Amino acid sequence: MSHAEGRRADARGVVSICSLRAGMGLYGIDTRQIREVLGKTTPHRVPLAPEYIAGVVPYRGEVLTTVSLRGLLGLEKWAGTNCVLVLDDQEDGERFGLMVDGVGGVMTFEETALEANPSALDARGVALFDGTYRMESGLVVRLDPERLRPSRLAESELFGASKQERPGEQR
Amino acid sequence: MVTRRGPDKGIVDELTKEFIAESQEGLERMELCLTELEQRPGDGELVSEIFRAVHTIKGTTGFLGFGRLETLAHAGESLLGALRDGRLAATSELIGGLLDLMDGLRAILRLIEATGAEGRPSADEDCELIALLAELKAGGGGLAAAGEPAPRSRRDASTSTGSGQVGHAVSRPVGDAGSAGLWPAPAAGPSTQERTLRIDVEVLNRMMNLVGELVLTRNQILQSAPGAENFPDLARRLDTVTAELRESVMEARMQPVGHLFSKFPRMVRDLARTCGRQVRIEFEGQATGLDKSLLEAMRDPLTHAVRNSVDHGIEPPEERVKAGKPAEGVVRLRAFHQNGSVVIVVIDDGAGISTARVLAKAIERGLATPEEAEQMTGREALELIFVAGFSTAAEVTNVSGRGVGMDVVRTNVEKVGGSVELESREGLGTTIRLRVPLTLAIVPALVVRSGGQSFAVPQNSLVELVYVPRRDRESAVERMGTAELYRLRERLLPLVWLDRLLELEPSVDAAAGFYIAVVESDGRRFGLVVDDLKAPEEIVVKPLSGALREIGMFSGATVLGNGMLALILDVSATGARAGVRPAEEEMKVVGAEAGRGAGRIELESSMVIYESWKRGESWKRGGSELDEERGSASRGQMAMPLSAVERIESVPLSEIEYAGGEAMLQYRGELLPIEDEGGVLGEMSAASGLAASRSMERGPGADGCRDGAETAETAPTLEALKDDGGRATVLICLRAGARGARRVGVVVRRVLDVAAGTLLASDRAEGEGRLAMVKNRVTLMHLERAEPAEEAAAAIFEEVA
Repeated sequence: MSHAEGRRADARGVVSICSLRAGMGLYGIDTRQIREVLGKTTPHRVPLAPEYIAGVVPYRGEVLTTVSLRGLLGLEKWAGTNCVLVLDDQEDGERFGLMVDGVGGVMTFEETALEANPSALDARGVALFDGTYRMESGLVVRLDPERLRPSRLAESELFGASKQERPGEQR
Repeated sequence: MVTRRGPDKGIVDELTKEFIAESQEGLERMELCLTELEQRPGDGELVSEIFRAVHTIKGTTGFLGFGRLETLAHAGESLLGALRDGRLAATSELIGGLLDLMDGLRAILRLIEATGAEGRPSADEDCELIALLAELKAGGGGLAAAGEPAPRSRRDASTSTGSGQVGHAVSRPVGDAGSAGLWPAPAAGPSTQERTLRIDVEVLNRMMNLVGELVLTRNQILQSAPGAENFPDLARRLDTVTAELRESVMEARMQPVGHLFSKFPRMVRDLARTCGRQVRIEFEGQATGLDKSLLEAMRDPLTHAVRNSVDHGIEPPEERVKAGKPAEGVVRLRAFHQNGSVVIVVIDDGAGISTARVLAKAIERGLATPEEAEQMTGREALELIFVAGFSTAAEVTNVSGRGVGMDVVRTNVEKVGGSVELESREGLGTTIRLRVPLTLAIVPALVVRSGGQSFAVPQNSLVELVYVPRRDRESAVERMGTAELYRLRERLLPLVWLDRLLELEPSVDAAAGFYIAVVESDGRRFGLVVDDLKAPEEIVVKPLSGALREIGMFSGATVLGNGMLALILDVSATGARAGVRPAEEEMKVVGAEAGRGAGRIELESSMVIYESWKRGESWKRGGSELDEERGSASRGQMAMPLSAVERIESVPLSEIEYAGGEAMLQYRGELLPIEDEGGVLGEMSAASGLAASRSMERGPGADGCRDGAETAETAPTLEALKDDGGRATVLICLRAGARGARRVGVVVRRVLDVAAGTLLASDRAEGEGRLAMVKNRVTLMHLERAEPAEEAAAAIFEEVA
């Protein structure tokens, strides 16, 4: 995976992680994989789209499909304002948005500090999470943009399932 | 250098990519030159050109380490060298051999593009070809093939690590030269050619300049204080720069249609040989620009059309001579711009399409009943050719006649928003007219609101708009089981609630009035119920990602003038999802019921009364001598059922165009044939001091017969008309035909009245005219061969768009 190589290439073995919030959880994405953060954006809803798709946002002459992190995690819809991160997938050049509740600061972690997913994690978590960083205040779950690509999600049975099943599912 | 990369990688580096693109261009030029060379064997310039193309390939290929390609190119080069030096004559065998060589080179190039390696020739593929070339060279006299039996063994050793699963396509028995052009190997994925583009440096420089300008303007805007005085100026400048930039980008995307044409000489040559025809191909308007993506989209339909012309159109030489035509048939390809679209016309001077045979076939295939067939006009009969599974070829030939044909052409062209028209005159030839928009990126659309969201409906699928006010809300919608219908001019229109279909929140005010956008696409006609209509806009189409395309309801998204996003509705998919049947089926059902009534319009109906021909001028057609008997006041008066009239338009004379002596009107992106029974057009132009052209004089009688061949020669005289300020009144009528309703424009002197009338007698002279009692006066009815009444949905409607 290209970002993994990128991480190793970092001379000091340090990664900077941009923290995001969705529901009660704290998540993080490698800053090098974030193209831009669009503050306070509400994506335009696309009717009949799967639950995990928040909609579309205009971005530099393109219309980006935006994935809702809450939708992916099976959380209730959030009534407040949202932030959209523009992510680039290096492998396919697919560009897409990720809708979260808010974006926090940038934290740096030792390369080696990433801990693997616990074995008790449910299938959905395994599909989405890259691992966790431990902080004094709690855990930061690392997300991998590669796994959040809309086209990949559409293929996955976990998320591509019809929306009728959605609301009942809880983590 | 030899082992460049493993074939499994499938990735080709930049240098190779460039080489492939360049070589393909070179080969294309070579192909063109070769076919031309066949016409003019003595042309040294052509030979040099071909030589250069092969030489370039050979040179670069050696440098890149494609040994197999080099060997082949080398063999070709030495043959061409002999040709250039005049030691050989360009016989047709020689040209055949060179074409084979070209196919060989092309196949290897394709292989390199797909796998990154040129592969190892299985058996003696290349060998055979090289031997053939050597033989040709020796056979022509001059130098013997002494040093020439290509040094294969050395090459074999150095041939790259090519994969084993290659070996095909290269070798081809000489006699089978035709097949290459006929069945090109289906390319896996877009080839380099489709992905790369050559741009004039001038255009690129201009774009860069404009981008610079854009940056400067942005800087100024950023630096100017809010509410600055010069803001309007800046905004205007931004507007200009944007418009210019857009224009130059569009220009860069424009490719000459000639690119599309370039492969046809070869194809026609090979085809003609296979079918035993003598065919010459001519081009016109190669420089006409067309958007790159559309150019690709037109490739297949056009190939199909040309193939049809050669195989079905042009007769064998003996037959042609018998018919008094030159033995050599001509296929002409013309391209030109017309009102924001590009028209490509394929004209052949062959046998034309036999309407009788088309009808017989249609009956045989169950596409039409004998009764229906009898009532069809020539044009309607020709429409049958576009029905899926129709083929008139007496027998299935190798080339065409497999039953997939014109319907595929039409489907493909319509997919990119174009249209296909067919004209044919038996014995004289056939004209196929493909019309495509200049670009796909910007389309006119109507923005509608439903469930609190905006959606864009492309104008080309929009038929009309109906407002249902609050008080009619309940009564307007009729229910049949679960289906909801709206009675539009006595025809039931299935309704589709957009908000329900898309599972949106229902509109806030459930008791308010609503709009019905009557849309039609892929033969489905239905009313799309929306809450509100916004202004029509030219929208810029942005593609959606795959995950959203899967929903299948939206063809893209766009940013509206107010900065909001709107999804573009795929009208035909919307209809399909809502379960609306395509009209054809529906027509059959309706037709079956109406059949019993046998084309009789209701006795009492509203009629439009108009004045057609000149007062006092006797009208002696259809054996009618009405004017002798009736008072002179009613002489010029004719009537038409209101249900058949869709709109009454006042059209400036200059907008009426002529093609092949036929008056035409471009009406909402549709080409309407104009009927001018009273010779109004001729008279009007004469009145404005201009000589009526010959086509106009033919006007009164010519409404039924279509000119097959494009007679562009009439255009210059008619050009003069366009300056005239006169306006003609045109009734836009909807006529039901076998394949859906068709619009026709009828020129009248003036519209007199709309009144209830009673039909007196039925068909006196085969639909030429019948009598009605309107306002206590006997009036002649205007009726055409096809009965307009029953299915014709129409009347004057409010135009919102």
